[in-house]
Amino acid sequence: MSATATTRRRGLALGLRRRWSPGNLVTAGILVTLAIVDVSIQPALANLVQIGLLLQTALPLVLVAVAQTLVVLVGGIDLSVGGMFVVANAITVVWVGGAGGAHQALLLVALAAGLAMGLLNGMLVVGLRFEPFIATLGTWTIFNGIALTILPTDGGTPPPMLTTLVNGTFAGIPSSIVILAVIFGVWRGLRATRFGVRLYAVGADDERARLNGTPVRRVRLAAYVLAGLCAAIGGIYAAGATQSGTPTAGDAYILTTVAAVVIGGTSLRGGEGGVGLTIMGALALTLISDIVQAVNFAVWVSVAASAGLLLVLVAARSLLEIRLQRRRA
Amino acid sequence: MTRAGAWVRERQATVSAYALCAVLFAIGALHSSGFAAASNIRQLLVFASFVGFAALGQTLVILAGGLDLSVPWLMAFGGIELSRLSVSGVPAVPAIVIVVAIGLAIGVVNGIGVTWLRVAPIVMTLAIGGLIQSYLLAVGQLKSTGDQVPAAAVDLASNRLGPAPVIAVVWLLCAVLTGVVISRTAFGRRVIAAGANDVVATLSGMRVARVRVATYAISGAAATFGGVVLSGYVGTTYLDIGAPYLFTSIAAVIVGGASILGGRGTYWGTVAGALTLTVLSALLPLFKLSTAGLEIVYGIVILVGVWLSSNGRTALAGLGRGSLRPPSTQEVGSDATD
Repeated sequence: MSATATTRRRGLALGLRRRWSPGNLVTAGILVTLAIVDVSIQPALANLVQIGLLLQTALPLVLVAVAQTLVVLVGGIDLSVGGMFVVANAITVVWVGGAGGAHQALLLVALAAGLAMGLLNGMLVVGLRFEPFIATLGTWTIFNGIALTILPTDGGTPPPMLTTLVNGTFAGIPSSIVILAVIFGVWRGLRATRFGVRLYAVGADDERARLNGTPVRRVRLAAYVLAGLCAAIGGIYAAGATQSGTPTAGDAYILTTVAAVVIGGTSLRGGEGGVGLTIMGALALTLISDIVQAVNFAVWVSVAASAGLLLVLVAARSLLEIRLQRRRA
Repeated sequence: MTRAGAWVRERQATVSAYALCAVLFAIGALHSSGFAAASNIRQLLVFASFVGFAALGQTLVILAGGLDLSVPWLMAFGGIELSRLSVSGVPAVPAIVIVVAIGLAIGVVNGIGVTWLRVAPIVMTLAIGGLIQSYLLAVGQLKSTGDQVPAAAVDLASNRLGPAPVIAVVWLLCAVLTGVVISRTAFGRRVIAAGANDVVATLSGMRVARVRVATYAISGAAATFGGVVLSGYVGTTYLDIGAPYLFTSIAAVIVGGASILGGRGTYWGTVAGALTLTVLSALLPLFKLSTAGLEIVYGIVILVGVWLSSNGRTALAGLGRGSLRPPSTQEVGSDATD
């Protein structure tokens, strides 16, 4: 009991310090700069409806990147997030005619599929002791195949309920803004629970966490299962936003989610960072491509800017870290 | 006999990779008579060589404890830059040398980022891959001519040397060379030491960073060369030509029994992995499996292959003395009774 209390106290202390750490300020600064640039290029963007539409294009990436973050926090990596995304995406759009009025059931099937796929990943990593990279390399292509089996080509229609939700408003605020706020709120809530603290403890040092009485294997499994759920929600949302399903859209997410996680400032070693940072990272990537589109630059500029930002940020962070280490030594 | 047994035991992961490949090939040959025909085998070897080149550097990088995700973009770069050079009048052979040299230089950049800047290999090679991609996109917009591939690259990919395709012979030579480098040279031992435990390697006076940079450089050169050959075979170049090789270059290494954490593995294992993946993708259409089915089976084979290469011996021992055991383990068993 006292062990848990210490862990929690340390966790809280870390949380407080992190909130003001220069790394987070840098991420926030980049996001604010990009937002200012984007608004100054297209002043029409500065209203609630336009922001809502921009967030609508950002949310699939945000959700899948959140999934990646959960796994990265426990010291793993999930190459199959794109696969889980497309399976849920395909399930959402494929049986609308056949399901009659039971559209809600369809969404529940997609969510359940996400949980099941996350569970499979978790069992491979925790139960059969596969390296996360290898386990999810295998399930990545398995999930892609399943998505193609369900929906062989682009198309289908999402349930009308989903379309209404995605394009609708809550008290005048576009639903995408509300959903983003909900994601962040749920994360802050989860972060404060015992599970949230354990997530960081396992990622930072799983041996110490085990000695502290943390059920390391169960926490790790839960991280993969939750990642499956988040990726599935991303797939469902994308189906609602684009009004169709694309069973081959997943592969791009492997690399962009890792980029969003790293730009945000979550450490790939685990135990450091969080979903809030990743949301900022994913939004920054979305803003870059939005700005490039707005000024009518070619696609390569956007690709180069994203890769360049990633490179500069990680290089700067690790140079800073090396200097800090030298000073301490 | 005992020495042969020890040899097999030492290389259990590699042997089981070849066994998996042989079983898959036998299934294909039994199912359709054309599968074991010389022309089909030649084609399989050509396809496997593309994977083999993409995975050659990847093997060294993974052995040294890294990972190279820029492989698919390096391959696309190889084809596109080669056709650009030859359109602007550079003769084919110097053009290939120049392109491979640029690939090597890109690999060095990857290596410097990973070692001196201490950026995680996944992130560093991902970012460099993104920069290559944006370069290729920019070039694609500027160019006015079609993506013609020079005749030398086409010849390299389609000509034959006696019964074997030229490219398969080149691959075999590269495989022998890489195998010798890994197991018989100081460089090979350093690569494995860097991957097994870089702290110990550093403390014993090894320049770990240099070794790692060299592995990324080799990966850059090999992947670019693979891209040159691939575009020669396809006859044209396009941006996504290398996309499938992100997956297969890593999968071949892993199915071949190497540890993703570094320090354990051989290029001969990777060769088996490349052959296994190629035979598998040729096999599934015979069973009327679509692309979707292929992807599912691909994933399962990778997971089973990896599981077998780390737990294979225990599992087979558990099966008892069944007649279905691969010959390699029977040999081990008879050694024990002798």
